[in-house]
Amino acid sequence: MKKVMNNMSEQIQTIPRKLTGKHLGSGNEAVAEGALTAGLHAYFGYPITPSTSIMEHIAKKIVYVENPGVFLQAEDEIASITAVIGSSWTRSKAMTATSGPGFSLMQEGIGLASFTETPLVLVLVMRGGPSTGLPTFPAQQELMQTHFGSHGDYLVPTLAPSSVQECFNLSVEAFNIAEALRTPVFLLSDQVLSTLKERYNIPEQIEIIDRAIPNETQVTWKGENISEILVPPMNCFGEEKKAFSTGLSHDPSGQVDLTADNYESLMNRLRDKILNYEHLFPQPEEYQIEDADVLIVAYGSTARSAKKAVQQARKQGLMVGLFRPVTIWPFPGEKLLQAAKGKKVIVVEMSSGQLIWPVERYIKVKVHHIGYLRGRIPQPSIIINKIKEVLL
Amino acid sequence: MTKLDLSKLEHNFEDQLTSRVLPTIWCSGCSLGTNLQSIIRGITTHAKLDLDREVVMVSGIGCTGRASGYVDADGFHTTHGRAIPFAVGVKMSNPKLEVIVFSGDGDLFAIGGNHFIHAARRKQNINVICNNNSTYGLTGGQASPTSFVNTTTPTTIHNNDEPFNLVDLALGAGAAFVARYTSAHYKILPRIINEAIQTKGLSFIDLISGCPAIYGKRNGYPTGEIMVQNFREASVEIGSIEDGSQLQRENTEVLFDPGKGYTKIPVGVFRREEK
Repeated sequence: MKKVMNNMSEQIQTIPRKLTGKHLGSGNEAVAEGALTAGLHAYFGYPITPSTSIMEHIAKKIVYVENPGVFLQAEDEIASITAVIGSSWTRSKAMTATSGPGFSLMQEGIGLASFTETPLVLVLVMRGGPSTGLPTFPAQQELMQTHFGSHGDYLVPTLAPSSVQECFNLSVEAFNIAEALRTPVFLLSDQVLSTLKERYNIPEQIEIIDRAIPNETQVTWKGENISEILVPPMNCFGEEKKAFSTGLSHDPSGQVDLTADNYESLMNRLRDKILNYEHLFPQPEEYQIEDADVLIVAYGSTARSAKKAVQQARKQGLMVGLFRPVTIWPFPGEKLLQAAKGKKVIVVEMSSGQLIWPVERYIKVKVHHIGYLRGRIPQPSIIINKIKEVLL
Repeated sequence: MTKLDLSKLEHNFEDQLTSRVLPTIWCSGCSLGTNLQSIIRGITTHAKLDLDREVVMVSGIGCTGRASGYVDADGFHTTHGRAIPFAVGVKMSNPKLEVIVFSGDGDLFAIGGNHFIHAARRKQNINVICNNNSTYGLTGGQASPTSFVNTTTPTTIHNNDEPFNLVDLALGAGAAFVARYTSAHYKILPRIINEAIQTKGLSFIDLISGCPAIYGKRNGYPTGEIMVQNFREASVEIGSIEDGSQLQRENTEVLFDPGKGYTKIPVGVFRREEK
């Protein structure tokens, strides 16, 4: 057994830490490669289907290599997210990945990370719930949990890929947002994308953001300077700058301050720092919407089927378009409102009704809904039938 | 009687404390102030660590949780029970830092118990100091995993279960350094803390502390003075046993009488692995 392991580690050492060029791989592999490209230093996690292959892929790439990173299979998801927070405070890029039940356990850590402005990336690979649910089948039932899962008001930027290429791109983007805005970021994938294999391309030149060092560096992200008032540069441990923070309400130095004025301005700033840079976040995909009578709203792997449905429906003479939010939170409500003007709207999702909430909030007309709960993506034919029903 | 000029009062550890957040939230007679002083002396004068850049103080929730903010070093006040995983994340990502987990018995052994045993098993190189006052002081004195049988708390009126023997627990889980002292051992503690810091693997100190204002008042030591006297009288020094027989329960069990306070506190270093 030992011999086998030695052989394995020898093989692994020859794998380059970062890749470039074209590759065939699963969504989970692309997420892992994106993280490594972004400069991932530390991974803490707990195995759970269907997220586990992210953990395994990263283990291969950061343990048995020269200059290894940090990798730990922790005792549970609570420890994983908390260790990621600890790691991030040493100025390291750290992440974890999980699915349904693990995400529920991580909620207290998410609140702490958001409140203490700790950059980190959490990949949530959605499966059917509630409870143990459908561990090996896809669903989209955590959309609201990414916004309201932890107690208290907070806003965590959430990105949802729809292809393997996007799994890579948004993984890099998630780290950039985390570092630029000092915030946890969710990458909202699902079981279909986790195992789906597609070709994806890793360009030679990719913009990588590192968080600001107080009095030394400033962050410029997508050509825009990030305000130090909205996003105070982060003091980290071991830098002689007395880095401190607490899950209690705190002043800008991190020390406990429970006064009303301080709490209100802290809460407002934590929200505003995200909303102020909303325009730099990945924008929604608008597919054939100009002349459409019906607008389908879908995200993630469901949007792949919805796009197929749009193509097939158009062949039948039905004027249909697709609006696909890529950034889920903050929700691209104004763009959706523009796109949906004068159209009938159908929300398609693998949930009995979560994406429909923000959609209805912005479009104040009746929204039609397919809440597909069969542990797979709704086929295009189901969507086309709904389009016909709506147009009647 | 001469009037005391408060502006001229100095604190021995003024340089090591974050003065603007003082005074502490701790009640008079509480062990935590003494314990914090012992820790600071251990870190600075014995282990010769620079508080400015080599030490991270991590704490959980409760009265003890505030300690990380009081020390003028890098630190973090985490959520309830999560000081250890946070410390693990810090230590693994920057092994040059000395990470001190300074927390309480409820935080470390009720809600955070799972993290402790796994960090000990994995020989994670952190220092865990449990300010063990056998109660949830901040929330009003409810029973903790180390409250004694038949002691009175708002949640266990004369029918409390058996407490954890934290020394046995740490030894069983695989901690590399295991010691128990009381807050009255402030003279020895800095040296013990230095030994804990020097030992590789998880170092654990069961630091028996008192909460006279809430737990002691109901259970036999109503003031800080009586508490310290109680600690001194009940402490029995036990040397480390080299043949591995430290796990014998009768050697390390803390005994307590609800009417009188502590009756026996076995103290000493119970395991000391190579540095």
